[in-house]
Amino acid sequence: MDQPILNPKITRRRFLQATGAAGAVGLGLEKTGALNTISKVHAQPAAEKSGETVITKSFCHQCPARCGIDVYTTNGRIHAIYGTLDNPLSNGKLCPKGHYGVYLTYDADRIKGPMKRTNPKKGRNEDPKFVPISWDEALDIVAARLNVLREKGESHRFATLTGRGWGYTDVGLLKEFGQLYGTPNYNLGHSSMCSDASEFVKHVMDGHHAYSAYDYSNCNYLLVFGAGFLEAFRPYNGNMQNWGKMRTKAPKTKVTVVDVHLNTTGSAADRLLLTKPGTDGALALAMAHVILTEGLWDRNFVGDFKPVAQPKDPDAPRPPEPRFETGKEIDVAGFKEIWTVGVAEWWNLELKDRTPEWAEKITGIPARDIVTVAREFATTKPAVALFERGASAHTNGVYNGMAIHALNALTGNMFAKGGLRGYQMKTAWAKLPIKVEDYQDEYAKSPERKKPRIDLAKTKKWPLAKNMMQEIAINHLKGEPYKLDTAIIYLTGGIFSGPDCTKWEDMWREVFVIDTSPYPGETNKFADLILPDHTYLERLQIADTYPFEGYPISMIRTPAIKPLYDTKVFGDVVIEIGKRIKGPMADYYKKIGNTENIIKWMCEGFKDKPGDNGVVDFETFKQKGVWYRKPYAYLQKDGVFYEWDGKGYNKVMTPEEVKAKVMPTPTGKFEIKVTELEHHADYVKEKFGLPPERAPFPQWIEPRHGGDGDLHFVSPKLAGQAEGRSSNLPHVSALIQPAQGGKHDVYLEIHPEAAAKRGIKDGDRVRIKNKIGAIEVLARVTHTTRPDTVVLPLIHGHWAQGRWAEAKDRLPTGSTNEVTENLSEPLSGLACYHSGLVSVEKV
Amino acid sequence: MIAKQEPKSFGEVFALLSRLYREEGAVNFLKLCFTLGKTPTPAGRWWMWSSILTVAAFLFVMYQLVFVGHSSFNTSSDGVNWGMAISTYVFFALISSGLTMIASLAMVFGFKQFYPVAKRCIFLAIITLASGFAVLALELGHPFRMLWAMPTGMQVMSPMFWMGVFYSIDLVLLFIKFYLLWQEDWDSPLSKFVGAASFVAVILASGMLGLVFGSMVMRPMWYGPFTSIYFMLTAALCGAAAIVVTTYMAYGFDRRNMGPHLRELAEGADLPKVFATLIGITLVMFLTRFWVGLWSNLDGMDGFHALVRTPLFHVELWLGLVVPFVMMLSPGMQTKMSHQMTAAFLVLGAMFINRYEFIIGGQLVPMFKGMWAASLLPYEPSATEWALTVMGIGMSLALYALGEKLFHLSAVPPTLLETEDRPAYA
Amino acid sequence: MAKWGMVIDLEKCVGCQACTVACGMENTRLPGEHWQDVIFFQEGEYPNTELKWFPRPCMHCENPSCVAVCPVRATYKTEEGQVLVDWERCIGCKYCMIACPYGVRFYTEEKPRYGGPDVKAVFKSGDARSWDPPWRAPQEDWRHGVGVQPHDVVSKCTFCYHRVSKAPKGTADLDPQNPALREFTPACVVTCPTGARFFGDLSNPHSEVNKQIAYKNGVRLLDHLGNKPQVYYLTGEGGSVPAERASKLKV
Repeated sequence: MDQPILNPKITRRRFLQATGAAGAVGLGLEKTGALNTISKVHAQPAAEKSGETVITKSFCHQCPARCGIDVYTTNGRIHAIYGTLDNPLSNGKLCPKGHYGVYLTYDADRIKGPMKRTNPKKGRNEDPKFVPISWDEALDIVAARLNVLREKGESHRFATLTGRGWGYTDVGLLKEFGQLYGTPNYNLGHSSMCSDASEFVKHVMDGHHAYSAYDYSNCNYLLVFGAGFLEAFRPYNGNMQNWGKMRTKAPKTKVTVVDVHLNTTGSAADRLLLTKPGTDGALALAMAHVILTEGLWDRNFVGDFKPVAQPKDPDAPRPPEPRFETGKEIDVAGFKEIWTVGVAEWWNLELKDRTPEWAEKITGIPARDIVTVAREFATTKPAVALFERGASAHTNGVYNGMAIHALNALTGNMFAKGGLRGYQMKTAWAKLPIKVEDYQDEYAKSPERKKPRIDLAKTKKWPLAKNMMQEIAINHLKGEPYKLDTAIIYLTGGIFSGPDCTKWEDMWREVFVIDTSPYPGETNKFADLILPDHTYLERLQIADTYPFEGYPISMIRTPAIKPLYDTKVFGDVVIEIGKRIKGPMADYYKKIGNTENIIKWMCEGFKDKPGDNGVVDFETFKQKGVWYRKPYAYLQKDGVFYEWDGKGYNKVMTPEEVKAKVMPTPTGKFEIKVTELEHHADYVKEKFGLPPERAPFPQWIEPRHGGDGDLHFVSPKLAGQAEGRSSNLPHVSALIQPAQGGKHDVYLEIHPEAAAKRGIKDGDRVRIKNKIGAIEVLARVTHTTRPDTVVLPLIHGHWAQGRWAEAKDRLPTGSTNEVTENLSEPLSGLACYHSGLVSVEKV
Repeated sequence: MIAKQEPKSFGEVFALLSRLYREEGAVNFLKLCFTLGKTPTPAGRWWMWSSILTVAAFLFVMYQLVFVGHSSFNTSSDGVNWGMAISTYVFFALISSGLTMIASLAMVFGFKQFYPVAKRCIFLAIITLASGFAVLALELGHPFRMLWAMPTGMQVMSPMFWMGVFYSIDLVLLFIKFYLLWQEDWDSPLSKFVGAASFVAVILASGMLGLVFGSMVMRPMWYGPFTSIYFMLTAALCGAAAIVVTTYMAYGFDRRNMGPHLRELAEGADLPKVFATLIGITLVMFLTRFWVGLWSNLDGMDGFHALVRTPLFHVELWLGLVVPFVMMLSPGMQTKMSHQMTAAFLVLGAMFINRYEFIIGGQLVPMFKGMWAASLLPYEPSATEWALTVMGIGMSLALYALGEKLFHLSAVPPTLLETEDRPAYA
Repeated sequence: MAKWGMVIDLEKCVGCQACTVACGMENTRLPGEHWQDVIFFQEGEYPNTELKWFPRPCMHCENPSCVAVCPVRATYKTEEGQVLVDWERCIGCKYCMIACPYGVRFYTEEKPRYGGPDVKAVFKSGDARSWDPPWRAPQEDWRHGVGVQPHDVVSKCTFCYHRVSKAPKGTADLDPQNPALREFTPACVVTCPTGARFFGDLSNPHSEVNKQIAYKNGVRLLDHLGNKPQVYYLTGEGGSVPAERASKLKV
């Protein structure tokens, strides 16, 4: 038998003692003695035979930020979670969601072990009649199906759909699995239903297909377009920590927020511009127009007009200094750029007519306000312009995003202190000493395996999209490119969260569905097999941070308690399935052994690159919960790029080095004229009807809104809403901010004018409908939204997520996605959640 | 008929009961207890039906409290904290106080024409207070804890503490007074002292009950010394209404059954005058309270605007106070039994609404709930709370019928006694 | 003897409710039993519309009206300033809830309002506790209103008495960023991500809380009622303390 790699001596799981001097003192001392003051005649139960309170290091599961958490356990029960003090992400703090782990672990509706379906009929109202089975039986069922598919040459019909992956020990394993097994659908990610447009914009303009790291704590002006900075934008905890600093430092950071309704972010900001949905790009273009016409751009980063040759004769008429004048083209050759590409052409093709007065007509924001914000933004340095789905989840989302991102370049805030600081650096993980190619059999290597993915991402249909999860159900139902046979679902649920989500129900009727969630849910209702994962506080798992401040951070989850039920961590499920596939693939996974081996091996990389907190190996990693090495390696200042030399940003970088390390675009510059779109000009023409010469530039494109009706419909994420799993927590339902909900339901925000027109009073039950579907909800007549926009947070409306999520009298009656058309931004593939049209009527 | 004569001591009562038990056997004895006599009487019927009602309501409440707990109330930490149980308690407690005040007219202040209702007043004061306490006990989380926690706590700052003290003293004095009257001790120095002390106690108790609310500066709809006066004077009105209703009940709604003194009181203008005066005072206070409430811009007074928009407010004001006031003022109507009865019933109804409107209305403005409670707080009594109120009313009626049967409630001092007879129906 | 007090900087507070959640977790509260609530107000009209909020723990008043009204002295003020409920004395009369101007007290024998089954029935208690969830915190001290309460009593914020009362004597400030003091600091202060909360000794003139109150003009809620809260708010530029207890009422 093959021995697993790297000495898999599995040590007994042990709890880590608190690291701080006061660590367990505060909680551990409630021993019987402390309660002696209580008279015995009274009814108070005797204190627990109290063991010590122990703190286990882990990291949070409630958003992508991955804050380090201290899990407090006494007598084998988790009762508290706090942020880890010596963790650069959490700094001892947590957002509201960070504390939910105690409730999620003990969710009364958790799945107790592997189960299989015995009712072949599938539907919302069909009881799956699950029966418990052993893990061996369950894994054998999966392996048998997969082996049969391979025998039939149909291994591409097996797919894994993934949501929030945590790194190499879960979703990171799937690529190898796909290569060994032979399916292009090894990891159908959810990013196109998340925020691919922002990654795409960064990718094409500054060369990083990633989210940006912002230096908020040194920032003096923050311009936020459609990102719930204080509700949902990651890292939420970090944003709030920085907010505390920004709002009380000297000088105080000024904040302008652009959104379509009033949320806490908009209200906490200095200024809220309530723009028409999908028009953020127009606003940003007008600001760029002001910045250029008023000469407020950063000449060190962008460049400047070449000086005009003046006549030698002092009496001869002197030609005027060139400048940007509204409506007038400039001489492209006369403008010399430094770190940007295409500013002059952009002006001539697009910007020269994008006046604040023009934008006022599009956005409804007074021109005067646009001018003010543009001036403030350009003259208050350092500054950050950021955007998320509010601006980009529209058919024109990428062009909107490009216009916004261009503001960072125009004002020289790219890679600057206090500006958009950069992108995430990689952790010093050790590479596994095993090669996939050595274990691929002929079947896997065969050209036959080169099939398009079921979501058709990266095909002619979606040439630039990374993932197209929202297309899977439609493609499957049409049989284009083929139909799926078996699917594993991990931490995602298009059946509730995908646009036009009811299509997924039709799809899952036809597919053998393997759900891995430890909780019941809509997907689970259609599952044929359930292979329940551990909940996160029961897992051993590692991850890298989402972009934070650029320097590398990685974290580890150590189980705080033994798994409560007969569950198995998803990564090990993948490995165990692998071991059961016929051929050399099984040997590969036998060598790997399990995820713990992988983690231990990867930590070997810390020996050479110890963390700033002294983490050098697996054991020290578990003690600290986090490894990080500061600082971010690069800095742009006054148009010069510097590299960290160990002591300071002292090494000046050449343009070649900048291209290789900082701005890996084809030109090595910040591309306002985007090379990648130049290359795809035909596709752009097909989708947007733009002439090829316009394709590469940020510009205004009228958005197309899905659905039908006379009101825009947006479905934001709330501060209290954890990743997919908060609606079954009564603690959460009871505290949803009363602006949108409160205690029991969530409300449809509707402006008093819009409500009056429809005879709707506050608290009335109303129907939201369009050609996609209809849901019912309670109306909240409020001035927190535009008269043309209604707002319903996506949290409630579950029909299968547990006893509290399914509370009979709770509204809305369904997912917001039952009235959201499946419409995607053509370049990034991002689903257009935030611009659909609906009509609203009193029930 | 259980006894020809009212037994005059506890020994006699016991002897009587045990003789009856021996003679009739257990089954018949219980039957007798249930119907209060071998032959059906109005008092027996009142007793039986009211007891059934009381027991049914009590069982329902207990079922709810045991299996659901106080969650079966519609009160809420985010909403109305004190519900209809409290307003029912206040209703009864103030009726009790009012009855003692009416009794004092004769026994303390020498208005001899009120002697014929004095003993009945004292008895009714006992049972209405007992009903109030019963309702309150079932509303409290831990009523029995009070017995040791109040004396050991001695929180002299608490209006509720003093309310408890004064109502306890009141109840003890009422028992003593009634015992003395039972013993036909109408005007010994002790009896006079107890009567006077009882009056003082009841003023303190009802006033303190008022201060339970009146001290609450954070609840402006209740706040102020006026509340105490308001409680005392409306208590007197409740007492007057209650005694009119019960006295007529005792005589089968027929003045011809009454003794001469009582008939004199009933047919004369003194009773309606007192009644009208009390209604008038209540009306003045009621309107004053609402005037200030509606006029003031003070944060927290908004509830008054909501109250005047409820139908209950208008029922209370027009039907429950203005109509009886006119009836009792008009020389043509004031002495007619039907009008006195109607007025008394209407006033009792109005006062029930009044207590509800006062207690619930005073809590309608949310206390720092922001948008968690974007409007005035919603409240309507739950089935359990209604049952509790029904239980209180049933208990009063049942005990009254029992008392009417067992005791000579129409007794007057021997000095007044000429040809006084037992009521005809008994 | 310390006189514990809290300062909340509304300029930093973003209304995220982490304090509410942390408090509920630390003290094993029921859903909606928000000892530490965040109160929201919406004012103004589109497009100049505003949402205001302020976190509202128990004010632990110097002159607590709740203590004065309690007929059985179940609610009391400790020497160190916490206003607590003795669950072995409380008779559940709710007078303290009536008398609290800030609405911070809870009587949890109520119909659940969050939808779905009552968590008390799902996580039933086998003993005198009113419920017993698996995540119940270990500390329990009913004389000080700590732990899961028994049935039919009033509960309230304890200023995390079980943590604060163990702080070393003479501590001026309970700073959660100090590892030695973190475990003694109230849960809401520990977790507050914007760092909007300060907790310390009001009787120590050198404490950070006194500094903040002095530098940034700390104010107290409904100060005209004279309860003299030991929780101060800093309103700065961005924040405001509401003058009224309720949002614009629809009467």
